[in-house]
Amino acid sequence: MRLSDQFSFNRQIFLRHKVRTGLLLLAVAIGVASVILLTSLGEGARGYMDREFSALGNRILIVLPGRKETTGGGPPIYGAAPRDLTLEDANALGRIPGVLAVAPIIAGTTTVAHSSRSREVITLGSSDKFFGVRQLAVGAGRILSSRSRSEPLAVCVLGIKVKRELFGSSRALGEWVRVGDRRMRVIGVLEERGESLGLDMRDMLLIPVRTAEQLFDSPGLFRILLDIAPSADSDKIQEKILKLIRSRHDGEEDVTVISQDSMLAAFDNILATLTMAIAAISSISLLVAGILIMNISLISVSQRRQEIGLLKAIGASSRQIKQLFIGESLLLISMGSALGIGFAFPLQPPNWAVPAALVVAFGTGLMFSIMPAKRAAALDPVLALRGLQQ
Amino acid sequence: MNFRDSSSWVFRALWMQRTRTLLTIVGFSIGIAAMVVLSALGEGLRVFVLNEFTQFGSHIIAVNPGKTETFGVGGLLNTTRPLSLNDATAISQLPNVEEVVPLVMGNAKVKHNQRARYTDVAGVGGAADKAWNLEIAQGRFLPADDLQRARALVVLGSKVKTELFGGVNPVGRFVRIGSECYRVIGVVAPKGEFLGTDLDDMVFIPAGKGMQLFNRQSLMEIDIFFNPRSTSEAMADKISHLLIERHGFEDFTLITQDQVLITMDNILSILTFAGTGLGAISLLVGAVGITTILMITVTERTAEVGLLRALGGTTQTVRMLFLGEALVLGLIGGICGVLLVAFLLLLIYLFVPGLPVALSPTIVLGALGISMVIGLLAGSQPAASAAKMTPIDALRAE
Repeated sequence: MRLSDQFSFNRQIFLRHKVRTGLLLLAVAIGVASVILLTSLGEGARGYMDREFSALGNRILIVLPGRKETTGGGPPIYGAAPRDLTLEDANALGRIPGVLAVAPIIAGTTTVAHSSRSREVITLGSSDKFFGVRQLAVGAGRILSSRSRSEPLAVCVLGIKVKRELFGSSRALGEWVRVGDRRMRVIGVLEERGESLGLDMRDMLLIPVRTAEQLFDSPGLFRILLDIAPSADSDKIQEKILKLIRSRHDGEEDVTVISQDSMLAAFDNILATLTMAIAAISSISLLVAGILIMNISLISVSQRRQEIGLLKAIGASSRQIKQLFIGESLLLISMGSALGIGFAFPLQPPNWAVPAALVVAFGTGLMFSIMPAKRAAALDPVLALRGLQQ
Repeated sequence: MNFRDSSSWVFRALWMQRTRTLLTIVGFSIGIAAMVVLSALGEGLRVFVLNEFTQFGSHIIAVNPGKTETFGVGGLLNTTRPLSLNDATAISQLPNVEEVVPLVMGNAKVKHNQRARYTDVAGVGGAADKAWNLEIAQGRFLPADDLQRARALVVLGSKVKTELFGGVNPVGRFVRIGSECYRVIGVVAPKGEFLGTDLDDMVFIPAGKGMQLFNRQSLMEIDIFFNPRSTSEAMADKISHLLIERHGFEDFTLITQDQVLITMDNILSILTFAGTGLGAISLLVGAVGITTILMITVTERTAEVGLLRALGGTTQTVRMLFLGEALVLGLIGGICGVLLVAFLLLLIYLFVPGLPVALSPTIVLGALGISMVIGLLAGSQPAASAAKMTPIDALRAE
């Protein structure tokens, strides 16, 4: 029996039962499409995280005050410790070879006001380096100058939302705003950019680090961001940071260093597991489709009893009969999968999603068609020709 | 045709095609099971998280410095609008306020002789143990001192106690936190984690001492536990008035436990909903299965339908018969699905006891209801096509 014979045999039955075939294709297509769709959603979330981090294109180490003995748990997020992490510490860290830039951060909430409008915002005290490390750019005006690293200049850069709330559509550059109990001149407005790593930069105020020190009356840094060279060994630099801090803090290692890579890897892991779980759950629908295929195959076998008898009478072997019915299921699966893929493909699924969906679809199809095919092959030609039960 | 006749027709029809019926039911019940398991997991998670939040009671209001909408984070940062210990004292004098817990958190080295441990330090008020349901294993909790003139006393978390003192009784001994000496007056019994914070790897000192230790001008949070006789709106209103009177304007954020719960509940309900939707895909495929099989059955039984019509059965009767078949398939599928879920949950319970799952009667009844509805929907098309047959054509098909 040639392959074309097989196809024409299968085609007959598909045409004879158009509705049934259509519904079967629908079932398989739903299964395949849901696997691909849901994995692309998961993968999309992962890609978003990746882009958020790597759009920055640089490698960042984050130093925070305080330390926890239990590793693996959350970092000490409180930002409070008996010994402050100071601007001098930050400057010293900047001299470690392999560190390209250091952005010290003092963070706090304060009120910023212009004429009668005021707004409570998160205020970051940092320097010109911060813009480089976080790859922020101003849409108007300029960024903090290099003098902001060491001098308490009375200037600020507004997030775009703060600007809109305080100034509406009028010009903010060069105007004076009241920040806490001080007056500062607006020298720049950040360009429109959405959330960045959970921080809504649009609703923030950036001021020189020394100014923040005075404003909040606290020399303690909330974080230090280090931009390290692409070629540098992150682990070695982390060790050097800890050693340097120890020597500056009387032998106490009271800071925590987190690398952005490890944070990314942790997120990546979680999302990958989630995607796999979702893929597994949605492939249950393929299992259900597989059972449906088995059901239909069984019906198909009993309906074509006489044909099978005839085939056997003119010399078809059991293997060929089996092949006919398994081929029928696989053909159905292929067409259903093609439909499903065609429906879900525009969503740019991850590379592995399509093959995985296909493997599951064909696997279940094959598994569930073996039993009906065996039943067909086992028919007795004489009885089958007469259309009788065995 | 009376009910008994129709039901015997339906069941005989299903019984005659046992394999077919069985496979259809298996497929459909897997779909139902997928949906129910996922919604049970989502519901379990929701109940777990809500319990975690309500374990301290539901009559709580938290005050954070600064007027921002950032949930919780605001308090960790510096602020130009501090909340002082005096604010806490003033709030505690309001009627219906039961406990007020000022809070400042940080991280410091706790040292005893040669042993030291970096750990979380919570600066709290004397009522924190009652408010947070902390059980005291040894000694007692921080005394209700004047907030402004707190003594250098410390209560250790169980893990810190083990690390620093081993089996020795630490009560009455001194530990060094930062640069000051604190006298240990108690040890908290193991409590476990709360939202990712290990409450055992923590020490408790008076809030005033905490502010000195971390050089802070402001508390990070004031938790107010109020009497159930007052509502959280009325209470929030009073606290808000008091603080505005003290500060001149509204420079703080009030979050009532009710708001937190509603927000959490919303998020978790969405999660449950998404899980259920995910499972529903399999159910959809199962429904397609019922439709397919009924379509085939209708074609196979054309002659029977013709005979029925010729004997005076109305189109309505024929439609009802096939809908009945679909309904029974859906219902049995649903029951099997729920049994499958019960089995799966039992396995989960036996092997992963920690995983919170909840199979509520609502879910079970909902699942059965949905299976019947879906069965009916899946059967409506085949039933309609059976009803459409004219008796003559149907009989001729024989």
